Amino acid sequence: MNKTDIQAMPAGLAGAGAGGTARPKVTTFATELGRIAAIGLFFAVCLFLFRSDPFILNMMAYTFLFAALSTSWNIIGGFGGQFSLGHGVFFAIGAYTTANLYFHWQVSPWLSLIPGMILASIVAVAVSWPTFRLKGPFFAIATLALNEVAFVLATYFDSVTGGPRGMLLPFKAGLVNMVFTSRLPYAIIMVGFLLISLVVAAYVLRGRLGYYLQAVHLDEDAARAAGIDVLKVKLTGMAISAALTGIGGALFAMYLRFVDPPTVLNIQDIGVKFLLIALIGGVGTLYGPLLGALLIIPLESYLRATLGGTIPGINLLILGGLLVLFALFMRRGIFGALQGAWERYRGARS
Amino acid sequence: MSGFVLSVENLTRRFGGLVAVNDVSFNLRKGDLLSIIGPNGAGKTTMFNLVTGQYPPSAGRVIFNGADISGLRPHARAKLGLGRTFQISKTLTTLTTLENAMVGAFLKRNNLSEAADYAMHVLDMVGLGARAGIKAGTLTLSERRRLEIARALALDCSVLLLDEVMAGLNQKEVESVIDLVRKLNGEGLTIMVIEHNLKVVRAFQSRVIVLDFGRLIADGSPDHVLSDPHVVEAYLGRQHA
Repeated sequence: MNKTDIQAMPAGLAGAGAGGTARPKVTTFATELGRIAAIGLFFAVCLFLFRSDPFILNMMAYTFLFAALSTSWNIIGGFGGQFSLGHGVFFAIGAYTTANLYFHWQVSPWLSLIPGMILASIVAVAVSWPTFRLKGPFFAIATLALNEVAFVLATYFDSVTGGPRGMLLPFKAGLVNMVFTSRLPYAIIMVGFLLISLVVAAYVLRGRLGYYLQAVHLDEDAARAAGIDVLKVKLTGMAISAALTGIGGALFAMYLRFVDPPTVLNIQDIGVKFLLIALIGGVGTLYGPLLGALLIIPLESYLRATLGGTIPGINLLILGGLLVLFALFMRRGIFGALQGAWERYRGARS
Repeated sequence: MSGFVLSVENLTRRFGGLVAVNDVSFNLRKGDLLSIIGPNGAGKTTMFNLVTGQYPPSAGRVIFNGADISGLRPHARAKLGLGRTFQISKTLTTLTTLENAMVGAFLKRNNLSEAADYAMHVLDMVGLGARAGIKAGTLTLSERRRLEIARALALDCSVLLLDEVMAGLNQKEVESVIDLVRKLNGEGLTIMVIEHNLKVVRAFQSRVIVLDFGRLIADGSPDHVLSDPHVVEAYLGRQHA
């Protein structure tokens, strides 16, 4: 894959053209759309090949869901460099909104995606407004606390959340209810969500907001001097990221047909998972989170299936160890390492 | 009205008991090239930060194109046309040189390719066109300084503030940056520079103001200012004066 976004002009060509040096190519949103379409096609073939294997379909559904969620987290966490550990809250908001509307008023989950997104965005902006004053690890810790507070609130307000008992959603199969007897439709929905997340992330990254988020990430003072309203850029990135995360929560709720605090507000399995996947795949890159999910989710379900019974918690140990290794030796994740190798290869040839 | 692009009126900034900038006033006309000199700790960078909005003033006002901008935040001042560089270059190292300049160019352009074209244009102006495609983290110090200038120019700024852009550069690099500043000034850009190197100030042959302990102690041509006993005393101590 050609990931070198901008290629240096050979020295001999510098100065070509009337207006000055020929401009290096800049990756556009249209280019990314082509790549995303290719990715979509590839996954469509995968789904077709494994259409009657429920185990593989289940794993694919989770992989696509978490790839999408990590891609969404990456908008503010990667591009914008704001290491949120509180995205589980926006996920839970999406899940509870959809679950409630479906449970009490039989609203189609397709429709309740919208209020779920809006609510997740509003809460995200409201809690980020004060916490964005904190930098780096302090911001991360504040957002971690947010997840814990949400856990307590979700357990306490049982009229909305079903409390610790959770909410079991009635099985009424049908497209309108987003409830299916086979796993294939769920896997298709998750691929759709993944493609939407990628398109949104690409649109952000390849436009003004993406450049501004990266500038804010790298140097806030330089960003301000370039006319960037730092807080507004962070809040916009957060709102978009949280809205997508809310969709993910809603889809997760309908897939499991069960919502309770230990499931949706689980720090290891939800809140931290988004950034763990992004870190391993390549934080701040468009396709890094997807790569990370393709590695982590199947690995995790394999570990759980083979060793989970004999050594409880081994999957967390191995994931933790993996994260340490990546932090030490592959700071830019798999994607960053591939990109570096490609640049060296190109550099060696020219 | 006055016809000044930028006016600083009785500007004061205190940090606790320290008065970093003390009742400083001066004006800039369109196309001026003003050098600010002074010993270390004289308040030059604080002065810049007050003009560009990094700090609010303790007293006094900053007037830009006839409007009081003292209460505006830095990004709002940049939008109005105040571009600046930092003493310690703030290069966005993991982006390419072109992308760094594009961050500035997006201020007045929403379209990706327009921003990229304009960014390329300003990189050519500062002599970095051939370096557009490489990661900005691999640029040399003098190239980073040029890049900061390019990012400010990409804002379409009408006043450019340069904070010690020559510091740490070798003689040849200094001369080329002097040429660049002169060229930009010749094209009508109003420029304010903080400079330590008195040779540079002489080379500009334009107005100089001198700060010492936060106060403005001299204002005039380089020859006049650099022979002023107060200035000599500030730089070299009393016995030389």
